[in-house]
Amino acid sequence: MRHGKYPFILSFLALPVGLYAWLVILPFAQAFQISFTDWSGSTNQFDYIGFDNYVNLFKDGRFVIPAIKHTAVILVVLPIVTIALGLFFAFMLNIGGRSRQGRIEGVRGARFHKIVYFFPQVLSLAIIGILWKQIYAPPGFGGLLANGLQLFGLPAPANGFLAERALVLGAVIAVLVWSSVGFYLVFFSSAMAAIPRDFYEAGIIDGAGRFQLFFRITLPLLWESVQTAWIYLSIVALDVFVLIYTMTPDQGGPDGASEVVGGVIWKYAFRFADQAFASALGVVLFFAALTLAVVALRAGRRETIEY
Amino acid sequence: MRKPISTPNFTRRRLLGTGAAGLAASSLGACATSGADDDSEDVSVGDDAENPFGVDPSAPLDVVIFDGGFGNEYAVQHQELYNEKFPDAEISHLATQQISETQQPRFAQGEPADVIDNSGAQEIPIDSLINDGELAELTPLLDAPSIDDPNVTVRDTLRPGSLAKGTFNGKVYGLNYAFSAWTIWYDDKLFTDHGWTAPTTWEEMLDLCPAIQAEGIAPWVYTGVHPVYLYDMFLMLTGRHGGVDVLKAIDNLEPDAWSQESVGLAAEAMYKLWEDGYILEGSPGLDHIQSQTAFNERQAAFIPVGSWLPNEQKGIAPDDFEYAPIGVPYLEGSRQPGLISAGGEEPFIVPQKAANKPGAYEYLRIMLSKEGAQIFGDTVSAATVVEGVKLDNLAAKLTDELVSNPDDLFQPQFRFWYSKMDEEVRPALGALMSGESTPDEFVDRMQTIADETAADDSIEHFTHGA
Repeated sequence: MRHGKYPFILSFLALPVGLYAWLVILPFAQAFQISFTDWSGSTNQFDYIGFDNYVNLFKDGRFVIPAIKHTAVILVVLPIVTIALGLFFAFMLNIGGRSRQGRIEGVRGARFHKIVYFFPQVLSLAIIGILWKQIYAPPGFGGLLANGLQLFGLPAPANGFLAERALVLGAVIAVLVWSSVGFYLVFFSSAMAAIPRDFYEAGIIDGAGRFQLFFRITLPLLWESVQTAWIYLSIVALDVFVLIYTMTPDQGGPDGASEVVGGVIWKYAFRFADQAFASALGVVLFFAALTLAVVALRAGRRETIEY
Repeated sequence: MRKPISTPNFTRRRLLGTGAAGLAASSLGACATSGADDDSEDVSVGDDAENPFGVDPSAPLDVVIFDGGFGNEYAVQHQELYNEKFPDAEISHLATQQISETQQPRFAQGEPADVIDNSGAQEIPIDSLINDGELAELTPLLDAPSIDDPNVTVRDTLRPGSLAKGTFNGKVYGLNYAFSAWTIWYDDKLFTDHGWTAPTTWEEMLDLCPAIQAEGIAPWVYTGVHPVYLYDMFLMLTGRHGGVDVLKAIDNLEPDAWSQESVGLAAEAMYKLWEDGYILEGSPGLDHIQSQTAFNERQAAFIPVGSWLPNEQKGIAPDDFEYAPIGVPYLEGSRQPGLISAGGEEPFIVPQKAANKPGAYEYLRIMLSKEGAQIFGDTVSAATVVEGVKLDNLAAKLTDELVSNPDDLFQPQFRFWYSKMDEEVRPALGALMSGESTPDEFVDRMQTIADETAADDSIEHFTHGA
């Protein structure tokens, strides 16, 4: 029987590995190959031009450089805000309530809140984009947010939030946070549920308040979940293309104020017919994402507590 | 900073990189970046007026239609005409909005469709197709006898100025089928009710503005989210003042083309509309649906759009709304006050590697027959580039008057010739109109991108013939 073991295993692996190679590794390899050419995307002729595309990437002050800056901003802001809000809400819904007869509970209506917060997660990003485009519209054109601000006598941008260079990126990030916080709320909730109640009870007996409970017990025990969330959100942050495409003026405007790397790849590939340049940018993004994941995992490594 | 290739380290890396790429290339023989490489032969015009291109009656024809504002019903009827002539030909008809997504891979494979209506937001940039040598010249089609009168060539059945947009360095690569003009629209009903007359000069327009505002109406609205709608208003304002040569200089990327006096004056005039508060509040944040709705609701008196607007708004605008077009009111001292941006839109292309090129030319010849143009007019009530097919509505008649002088027809081309330059001019126009950049900043920025485009030797440059 023993001699037949490897062919047996291989026969099982052949299909998945083959599919993986064909559908994942090959396209990646091809993007690398294309990035060294001058291929436009709509011809079968091209020349190899070495690293020219990579050199030119960093000379492009109109698209690539602003896009990298904006993506970097999103990369920092999105995970921090989303995780902070997610943790806060999860804590309040699970542990933050007034303790009744010594039992640790969330605030009233916790289950209802969980469902409401999770709502945006079931909407597709394209729908969210269209929805928020309307919410951010100019006050005279049904812009919910601008009209609301005016109602309270607060200043609102006359052209809506998305036509304002200084506000557009923040507006897009706010939508991203809004749409993802519900998922991380549920994600952290389930992780919190795994923390034994005794820990909190012990803490309360020792006189710890909610702040101390959170920072001394909850957060350290949730560290691995936070780390995972961080990586997920970073990947989302590297690709906010759909929202930029559906919401912002001229897909990255006004005047390049919301250009992101994913959007610039699309612009080069399909609007400027420069697939090779787009591939080069894609390759850079690929390595950025990879580095980020590795760094996040390494830097965040801590002792695991078993309970 | 570019370094000379001197260090051995750099050379080694470069060698490795190229080597790896080469290795990948050879191992990926069957993928997107490789394909058949057979150039099909050129088509010549024969003596047979019935079948000048020598179409193989049984050869299949592969047609791709942009399924946008014009739909694709007209194309189905064109194909019926083709089938009447060649009953054995099997026609594959694809109607889609995703021209680029569906057709680019076919170009990459070297197996493109025979006729492509390369329009819409997802069109394949035509400049890049020409740079790659992927498009067939349409000269044989234009030199062929027309269907209605074999003594007249197809070229001579077209309206003046209709080939300009598809012409690149004197060669015609795109047949822009629909004829349209960029104009300023106003509601004749609104103007008559208030006793206003449509202005012809910029001064008259400015004089009228306070009266319009007194009625609680904003003089202007525009589509700020897509500044492409501002292009022809700005360029015609410029060209009317300085004459068409000013615009040709811009298209030809001449040094200092943007510092011409007319350019500065036009930029200042547009900027002043914002400064004086003559633009509907919120316009920079409006898309075309919102801005046109505001116009239909008579929140604003003027809107710059193309001649398709009344047709597009049919059934949306109030019943008593009377769309009427004017050319952009011209500045004082204008040399060519009748200049108007009009010509072909909706480019049909024939790929160089099309399998049935004669069939493709024949299909376009059928489209350009009186019958073909009438089909288009009847199904979408829009004009074609074919001369002498009249449309029965007020806006179309008024537009026809605006475009009656062939010498005054000119379509600025640089945004079609250089898609990357377009990407810089559009937002700059938006910034000018929303008061974010001054006319001087705008002009400087335009000259910079024009110089960069002129200096870019990785793209082909085009010029207007003398």
